Amino acid sequence: MGVAFDSISFKASLCDGCGDCMTACSQAKGGASRISIVPGAKAGSFETALCRQCGDPKCVQVCPSGALDKDGGNGIIGWDASKCVDCLLCTAGCAYGGIAVDESVARVGKCDQCDGDPACVKVCPTGALEFRKAGSIFNEYGAKEDLFVPGLSGCQGCNSELIMRHAMRKIGRNSVLATPPGCIPGMGSVGYNGKTGTKVPVFHPLLTNTASMLSGIRRYYDRIGRKDIVVMALAGDGGTADCGFHAVSGAAERGEKVLYVCVDNEGYMNTGMQRSGTTPYGSWTSTTPVGEHMQGKTQDAKNLPLIMTAHKCRYVATASTGYMEDLYEKLDRAIAASFEGFSYLHIYSPCPTGWRIPSSKVIDACRLSVDSNFNPLWEYTNTSGLRFTHSPDNAHPVSAYVKMIGKYRHLSPDQLAHIQAKVDEQVALLKLMAAESPPPPAAHRAPAGSSTPAGAEPSQPARREIARN
Amino acid sequence: MNKVSTGKVIVCDGNEAAAWGACLSRPDMVAVYPITPQSSLVEYLAQFIADGRMDADLMDVEGEHTVLSVLHGAVLAGARTYSATSAQGLAFMFEPYFRTPGLRLPMVVSLVTRDAVSPTCVWGGQQDAMTVKEVGWIHMYCETQQEILDTIPIAYKVAEHPDVMLPVNVNHDGNYLSYGVARVELPDQSVVDAFLGEKQVNWHACLDPERPMAVDPLTGGAGGIGPSLFVKYRKGICAGMQDALRIIEEAHEDWGRRTGRYWSPLIEEYRMEDAEVALVTIGSMTGAAKDAVDDARASGKKIGLVKIKTFRPFPAARIAQALSRVKAVGVVDRSVNFGWNCGPVYQEVLAAMYAQPVRIPMMSFIGGLAGADITVEHFAEVVHRTFRLAGGEAATGPVWLNEND
Repeated sequence: MGVAFDSISFKASLCDGCGDCMTACSQAKGGASRISIVPGAKAGSFETALCRQCGDPKCVQVCPSGALDKDGGNGIIGWDASKCVDCLLCTAGCAYGGIAVDESVARVGKCDQCDGDPACVKVCPTGALEFRKAGSIFNEYGAKEDLFVPGLSGCQGCNSELIMRHAMRKIGRNSVLATPPGCIPGMGSVGYNGKTGTKVPVFHPLLTNTASMLSGIRRYYDRIGRKDIVVMALAGDGGTADCGFHAVSGAAERGEKVLYVCVDNEGYMNTGMQRSGTTPYGSWTSTTPVGEHMQGKTQDAKNLPLIMTAHKCRYVATASTGYMEDLYEKLDRAIAASFEGFSYLHIYSPCPTGWRIPSSKVIDACRLSVDSNFNPLWEYTNTSGLRFTHSPDNAHPVSAYVKMIGKYRHLSPDQLAHIQAKVDEQVALLKLMAAESPPPPAAHRAPAGSSTPAGAEPSQPARREIARN
Repeated sequence: MNKVSTGKVIVCDGNEAAAWGACLSRPDMVAVYPITPQSSLVEYLAQFIADGRMDADLMDVEGEHTVLSVLHGAVLAGARTYSATSAQGLAFMFEPYFRTPGLRLPMVVSLVTRDAVSPTCVWGGQQDAMTVKEVGWIHMYCETQQEILDTIPIAYKVAEHPDVMLPVNVNHDGNYLSYGVARVELPDQSVVDAFLGEKQVNWHACLDPERPMAVDPLTGGAGGIGPSLFVKYRKGICAGMQDALRIIEEAHEDWGRRTGRYWSPLIEEYRMEDAEVALVTIGSMTGAAKDAVDDARASGKKIGLVKIKTFRPFPAARIAQALSRVKAVGVVDRSVNFGWNCGPVYQEVLAAMYAQPVRIPMMSFIGGLAGADITVEHFAEVVHRTFRLAGGEAATGPVWLNEND
């Protein structure tokens, strides 16, 4: 297995040029800032000059004294002050302006990511800077056993398969899995003619009864003292939001100790891309086609995770493979909660086949769906209320998201306006719920710039407005 | 072993008798949803559990679909389970009901039989149970409150037998048996415990991280081993059903030895030794039918009765043997077989008699629909018509016994 590294990411679209990151860095490092915000090509836009901890670092290559070296463990290019001859060749060698010169001492300043807690990221008020821990997730879980066999017959680029493999790596062998009819058993998790693709006990419940049947398993396991087993579903949106809803609702009401993961690809994709209750307005599906009299689905999607909060579940969260760190953190909390009550995780899962997107664009679609607030990421518990885990502020217009997806190709301006209005409405409602929630514990605090409930760092809207103008 | 235990005597209705039967069988989990005329059965169970008399996990859920679904989960994890339903509840339960025998899940569910809507009707009848007779569940019909209580532990013994591994419905007539009160003897818990023995985990299909397996993978499809595998499963259920005939007899015999109550396991023959005509009955109507037979016998008519206790698997050979010597048969149903314009039990008895060398005239009688009484007078009419049939008159069924009540 290869090694992956954490990194500081920069989203130019969110940067307002305030420079707080530079101040924080120079304070933390006691000298020149290792990060620079510079004017972008367009007026009012900004770029950053920051060490990218390159895989094939030119700074290391040009260093005549061996003072710079890439650490194979954490991927950080370290600078050894005792070896450095202050030639500054590295600053010339770096094409990204990633090594600063500290004029006061005439030495270089090199980003070391502050031991995984970068000062610049912490102060960024807009969320333009983010410390992405995908590398450590890969290192930690990539080595764990994949609990599905290779060769599951998912479509090329299938996001649901990614969810299954990641989720089960995290959850491990001490689990009982139910995969109701849909894409997940369809690709072979439960198997065909006596052969299975899953290495944990797996059951193919009815489309309608997943949560009920899991309740029975959990109750009996609790009764005989086997309380450490994760009893879970990997279910589609149809079996969850539509005909399986009575079972989900009943189990949640009873507080059954079950981890219910809904993999939402917005339709009955396994059976030919028919509409479901979570199919968004305007979507082309095989039962909401585009023609002279109909232009895709005429109803809005049911917001199932929001409905689940009204069930006072132990834990409810939305997640996306576009933000794996967030997904992994939520899996941790969802698993823990499933030993105390009903735990519901709703993972958005673009379907390259049914949505008409190239498989190479699936993760981009995941990201944009979050970044446009089409699928905002949040979590809820019955004690801490609702909080966003990814900023709903500074969102891209939803048009950027729907444009990349073929099932929206026919949208009229009116339909697009309707979708934007519904997204705004939904975010407004979520924000209202977040605002009325108690402050989350520090460990769960959202990154700076998120629209968080009371207790988060106060933002500085006035200054940002100026910078944006 | 042969010491017969006489238990405590109580006075209760059929629903309470069923609840006691379940209680004594020590299920780990009971899932219930109330529906008329089963509702009081649910209440008895809940009270038993509330009182600590019954050590079972009570699942009060949102509907019968979930009732059977949670029990599926529990049985797959190794539990012994119990539930009860009626009519619309059974209909709502049908989707998981359909797959229970296919998964070879040994469970016991009481059907408190009822006529099914429409027209809307909440009273007794056997239309619900008769409608699901082809699904693969074993069906046993009880005549009395005591038989209900005794049949439930017997049903567990049958369901969990390795040669059977099929779910069992213990049926009792809604309204008549569900609400009718009678003297019932409660066997000692120790008697039932000894009778049932240790519960065995159903390793055919089990969800346990210690023994990972995929339960219910997709099976079939054209080509390859799929269709033959599917046939193997189907034949397995058929074989389990046929083996159940023997196991049901053994279990009843064993129960009789321990309690002194020997119920006829498959069919009961009443005054059949020299009978010239026979009635065929099922369920609680049998009491009135026996009285009518006694009355006819008192007036010198050679008549007998065959009560069907086990309806699935159908004891065809035993029926044929019992009826082969009579000149005419009147079959009384409490439900309707719409496609054949007769009662379903009649249809079954006809099929069982087909292999006989002599064609015996038979007639279908349908009574007791929508909670109506089937009285001794009704049965006197059945006796009268059946003797006319034996005398050479053509069959003109079905006769709707309650048509003018």
